[in-house]
This record gives sequence, structure tokens and C-alpha cells, in this order.
Amino acid sequence: MSEWQPRILAILCNWCSYAGADLAGVSRMQYPPNIRVVRVPCSGRVDPLFIMKSLQAGFDGVLVSGCHPGDCHYISGNYVARRKFAVLKPLLEFIGIEPNRVQFSWISAGEGERFATVVTKITEDVRKLGPSTRLVKKL
Amino acid sequence: MNMVRLDKQNLDNFIRELSAEYSVYAPGNTGGKTEFIPVESGDEIDFSRTVTDMSPKGIFFPPAEVLFEYDKDGVRAAQTSHRPIAVFGMRSCDARSLVMLDRVFGSAIQMPDDEKFQDPYWKEKYDSSLIFGFACNEPLSTCFCNWFSGGPYNRDGMDVSVVDAGDVYLMEPVSDKGIEIISKLSCLTDASEEDKALLEKMASDAESMMTAPLDVEGLGERLTALFDESIWDEISAKCVNCGACTFSCPTCHCFDMQDEGKGEKGKRVRIWDSCMLPIFTMEASGHNPRALSRDRVRQRVMHKYSYYPENYGEILCTGCGRCVMVCPVNLDIREVLKKFIAYNEQGK
Amino acid sequence: MKMINPDDLSKAIKELLTEKKIDLFIGWEKGSLPLSATPLFITSEDEAERAVFDITCGNNLSIYFTKDRKQFADKKVGIAVKGCDARSVVLNTLEKQIDRANVVMVGVPCHGVLDKKKVLAKTDGREVLELIDNGDTVTLIGKGYELSIDRSEILSSSCLACIYPDAQECDIFIGDARAEVPNENRLKEIKEFEALSTEERWANTCAEYEKCIRCYACRNVCPSCYCNVCFVDQNDPGWIGNTCEFTDSMIFHVIRNLHVAGRCVECGACERACPMDINLLLLNRKVAMEVKDRFGDIAGLDINGKPAMVDFKEDEKQDFIMG
Repeated sequence: MSEWQPRILAILCNWCSYAGADLAGVSRMQYPPNIRVVRVPCSGRVDPLFIMKSLQAGFDGVLVSGCHPGDCHYISGNYVARRKFAVLKPLLEFIGIEPNRVQFSWISAGEGERFATVVTKITEDVRKLGPSTRLVKKL
Repeated sequence: MNMVRLDKQNLDNFIRELSAEYSVYAPGNTGGKTEFIPVESGDEIDFSRTVTDMSPKGIFFPPAEVLFEYDKDGVRAAQTSHRPIAVFGMRSCDARSLVMLDRVFGSAIQMPDDEKFQDPYWKEKYDSSLIFGFACNEPLSTCFCNWFSGGPYNRDGMDVSVVDAGDVYLMEPVSDKGIEIISKLSCLTDASEEDKALLEKMASDAESMMTAPLDVEGLGERLTALFDESIWDEISAKCVNCGACTFSCPTCHCFDMQDEGKGEKGKRVRIWDSCMLPIFTMEASGHNPRALSRDRVRQRVMHKYSYYPENYGEILCTGCGRCVMVCPVNLDIREVLKKFIAYNEQGK
Repeated sequence: MKMINPDDLSKAIKELLTEKKIDLFIGWEKGSLPLSATPLFITSEDEAERAVFDITCGNNLSIYFTKDRKQFADKKVGIAVKGCDARSVVLNTLEKQIDRANVVMVGVPCHGVLDKKKVLAKTDGREVLELIDNGDTVTLIGKGYELSIDRSEILSSSCLACIYPDAQECDIFIGDARAEVPNENRLKEIKEFEALSTEERWANTCAEYEKCIRCYACRNVCPSCYCNVCFVDQNDPGWIGNTCEFTDSMIFHVIRNLHVAGRCVECGACERACPMDINLLLLNRKVAMEVKDRFGDIAGLDINGKPAMVDFKEDEKQDFIMG
């Protein structure tokens, strides 16, 4: 049991991705138990500060997921979110954070299987990277 | 005790000898900036700048200092190193600043129960310290130590005064601690009569390079009389209220306490704060008594030139010129004081 | 290199003030140090002659519109603007911080402003007592030395990458304004940094940002940073620690960069103001490059536009989304 397990924060929008996670659950799909879920009303609610704080708190990876473009419950929340993430991700890589630590996806309420795939992929990606150290605050 | 000399070739040995007993700090170059860094040899010292970019106050009053740590088993005072500190190469302005800070942290604040307040974290470091001052042979155009009863060869706050005289450093003990260390160190030799004459000449040369001092007699009272005048708006118009001046200042000493905790453990940290920032006086209600830039600029000027002198009898500014150099909008404190004095003399 | 004629500048200001077109003019005047001009606020035409513009005028003066909660809201203000400063005025107009009708923008021909740290590197840290701006070269004079150096050697990193040296939006221009000026070095620094490995980039980032003392000079001289309460100053609850701990400082800078994403005009005021010489602008320029590549937007160019980060198109590149 001493093998290191990645801890990944999944920030999911209430209307699509969280429901997608639910569907994966009720459909009894298998996916790694490494994510901790935070439900937000919309991916547009995700302040890049949440992501930075998660890395600082010691999460090894962060997944943000919302509705597919065009499907936002609030019409355009995910479009605005997309611009934020489109800038955040290259900036994090630019300063030297490993590219796969922070990832973004679109998962609809009907895509339980996709949810399981995405979680499996990010877990494996982060496992390969090893424990996060770069922005972790040591006390 | 007489003057002694140290061959510059022997500086390295001198620092190494000093290091046996003390943690030695001296001006060093860190990525293009000069500041006081721990050194163990003479090669690490950088005297290329007359005034270091950052003041040495951080040695005794660190930008972030852990006061205590806690976990579920209890509270523990922060681990401190008990090796005494020696600072080599501290300019006269900076040595004087420590005397000013010591009044606040070390001894002079009268508590209601007749005790004097003493900050243990400051005292632990400062009381056992040894200050090797460093006279200025080439004051900068931004230096104005002579405005406030200082000067390039002033010795306040030093234990040993050091003068760069070409191939040698001439040293003269100023305090008892200074006499003791000079008698202990082996790489020093006695200075000659010529050395003494040279030193006197260098001192008067350096003094003559300073610009004419401003008459700061009664400055505090004069500023107090102008407290409500509109001149503060004019003065503060260009200030952007960043903390560059306060953080580079050797005498600014306002601080904030922050708790850093996670899970079952944490620590309390004392950090530098700045009266220039709006949050400095933000109250829990949301009201800010110093909401405007003018209020904050006035506070900084008044604290230095009025409140502190009222409490301790000396202006809280050593004229090192760092704030003049770092200010992003060139709000020059010398110009500010000149403006006030002119304004005051005009009878408003 | 066509430098400004100072008389033209003071004449323009004098006219504006005499004809009561403005109540106040914000410009630069000679500072107390040879390397820094200082902001100038004048209300009477007699003072117009104090206004200067040269290599030392690095401040982006549009910060004063948002200082102290829009202090000039009820005034007609004239302001001297370089190309980058003009973009700040435009951007702040788009964001309803400035009423464009109340502002008279006076453009000045800019050939770049100096970075003090580069000057001091040239003089090996020796104090500069006098600076003479000859255009292509700059003469630095100090105790026992006189140096003549190429202007480009001491220019701020923002100026070396600049493509809009002159105001694209202004009411009066002193001289002939240039439109976009091609600059082959625009992305050089960014591409060089990108070519490093992740480890090398991280090592570089750490070395730079560990120097931060959290004085907030970068934030306070930034025309795009005008929040009444900055996120680092929010303390109930607090977002990030203030103890100069590296990760806190790093997060402050990353988030500040994102807050000014699509709004940063790359004037470089932050980098020049930094007392610790952090190369702050590199991150800003990387973000600006992404914004331009992805959304086709350059901050502060189009007075009828919309800042990039409050806008969107439905069919945007989303290469960063997991497949």
C-alpha cells in the first residue's frame, strides 16, 4: 500500500460534467479513485486562482471540465471559460509547470464513458509525472 | 584603543577569523542587485555600490520572520540560531538606522506597567551583534545623510569604524565590543601617525562632497502645522502608493502578523508592511481612515519627520537615498521636504 | 531618428490650457535624477514649458485616471501619451474607467524609454550624473567617465519588442505619427524562452520570482491594475499568503498576468518599476502573444472593440482540451 497515488482535484460543472460523473457511477463504470470532485455551477465560475490554489495546496493534478461548447446551461459561460483556460494553460507551461498537471475537458451529462476515460487518462498522465512539487507550499 | 590597519590582501583571512565566532554578513551581489548576504570569505563581498540596493535592516528584522510554530502537541517558539551576527561594510547611514530601530524594538517604548517593551526577536539578534561600519569616501548624489546630523564618516551605531584607504582598511573601535574584538583578531597591525592624518583628510574630503544640508530644525512642528493643508494633495499627486520606498528604507519598521496554517500545524509570521498600501489601515468594518493616496503619503512623511522625532528626539531618516533611487515616479523625498519648508516660510 | 521638438509640445499644452479645452494636463518633467523623468500635473499655461519628453519618460501616465477612485472624473484632462500609453487610455475607455470625451490625448513620437538596470550594467554600477539623449546614441556622464552608447542597448525590454511606438488613437500628435512599425525582434525573447526545457524554464522562473519582495510596485504602476481591492489584499478570507513565500509570490504574478490578459498594453512600466529587477514583462508578453494568436486581439488598439477576455467566438481553437 506504500505505492504513491496521485491526488487530483476535479472541478466539474453542475449541469454537464458532474452529471456525466454521476452517469459513470450509476452505470458502474470503472475509473481510478484518484479524483476529488468539487462541483461548480458552471466552468465559467472557475477562477484560475482556484487552479493555482489547488496546486499550492499539494494536489498533483487539476482537471476542469464543463459542458461542450454550445451546450452551456448559461448559454456562454464555457466560451468565456475557454478563453481563460486557453491563456492559463500555455502560461503555466511557459513558467515551467509540467504540461499534464492541469487539464481541461468537455463532458456532457450523457458521456459517462467519456468521463471514465478522461479520469483514467489524467490519472495516468499525472502518475507518470510523479508527485507535484513546483508550486506546492511547504509549511 | 588605537587605530589598526588591515591589509586588503588579508580581508579574506579577517572574514574567516570573524566567521569562527560570528555569522558574518556583508554587501554581496545577488543577480545584479546588491544586498547584505551571509559570507564566509572575502571574495563574496561586493563594495562596488556605495549604498546597497536593499538596506541591511533585514538582517535583524527579516522581511518574514517566524515567531512561533504550533501543532496539535502545542506551541513552540521559532528555532533561532544563537550564533551572534557580525556585519562588515555597513555604511554610516545604515549603522545609524539600527540605533533608530533599536529604540522601537529594543528598549525605549514605555509600557503602562512601568516596564520597557523589548522585542525578544530583535534583541536576540541585535544585542549580541557586532557592526563594522564603513565610511563613505564617495557619497552619491542621492545621499543626504548630512541633513539629519549624520555624515559620510559618522560613527553612530558602529562597534568598529572601517575606512577604505587604498591598499588598507583603517579600523578604529567605537564601542567596548569593538575594543574587545579588535584586540582578539590576529590579522590586524597598528596604524601609523600618517594613517591617522590620512583618515582625517579623507573624512573632510568626503564631508565636502555632500550637498548643502537643509535646515531641518523644528521640521516636525512645522509639518504638524501643515497637517490639513492642501499641499499634501500636490505632493502626493504623482505617488502610486507602492511599497518600494518603505521596503527599501532602512528605518521603516511597520509590520503585520500573518498566520500560515495547514491541517494540524502552522506558524505565525511577522512580515514587513507598508503604510503606502491601502490595506495597511483597512478596518474590519470596511472603513479605511487613510483611504486616499494623500493620507498615506502624509502618514509616511509625518511618521519619519514628526511623530518619531516627537517620541524619540531624532528624525527617522538617515538620508541613505534609497527611496529616491527606487521610486518608480521619482517622488523625491528631498524635494518634498524642500517644498514644505518653502511653503512654510511663505506663511502659506 | 526624428526626436520631438520640446517647443511644439509646450505650445500644444499652452494652447489647450489657454483655450480652456482642458482643466489639467498630465505629462512628464525633468526629474531629480538624470535617469528618471517625473510625472507633471499642470493647470496653468505658464507651467507648460516644464513638460518634456525623452528617453527617461517611462511612466505610463494613464494610471492617474484610476488612482483614488477616478480622481479626475469631473475634469477635462489633457495627457501626453506614447504609443503604449495611448493604448492604455483606449483600454480604460472601453472598460468605462475614462470618459473619452473628457480626455485630450497628446501623442508624442517615442523611440523607446530606458531601463535603469541596463544603464547601471553599462556603467558597472557607477552612478550616472548626467544623461544626454542624442537620438541614436545616449551619452552617460558620471564621476570620472563619459560613455556614449547605442540607444538600443539601454532600452526597456518592452520598447525593444514594440510595434506601436506612436499613439494610434489621439487628438493631437506632436510631429508625424507612425502606424504599425514592423519589428523582427517582437517575439524573439519569448521564442528563446520557449525553446528551453520545462526544467530550465522552471529554474529560470524560480530564480526571477524568488526575488519578489511584494512591494506591489508592478501592480501600482500598471494602468490595467485598478481594482479597488486587489485579490492579494482580500483578507476575509485571504486568497494568498503575504509572507514573501515563493509560491505565494508566484501565484500573485501568474494571477496578475491573467487579470491583465488581453488588457496588458506591454508598456513595461511594471518591469521598470520593480526594485528587484524581476523580468516581469516576459510573462505578460507571452500572454499577449497567446491572446493575439488565438483571439486575434491586441489590447487597446480598437476604441470600438471589446477586451479579449470578456469576448468569445464560438469556433475558437481549443487544442488544449483533452480529446
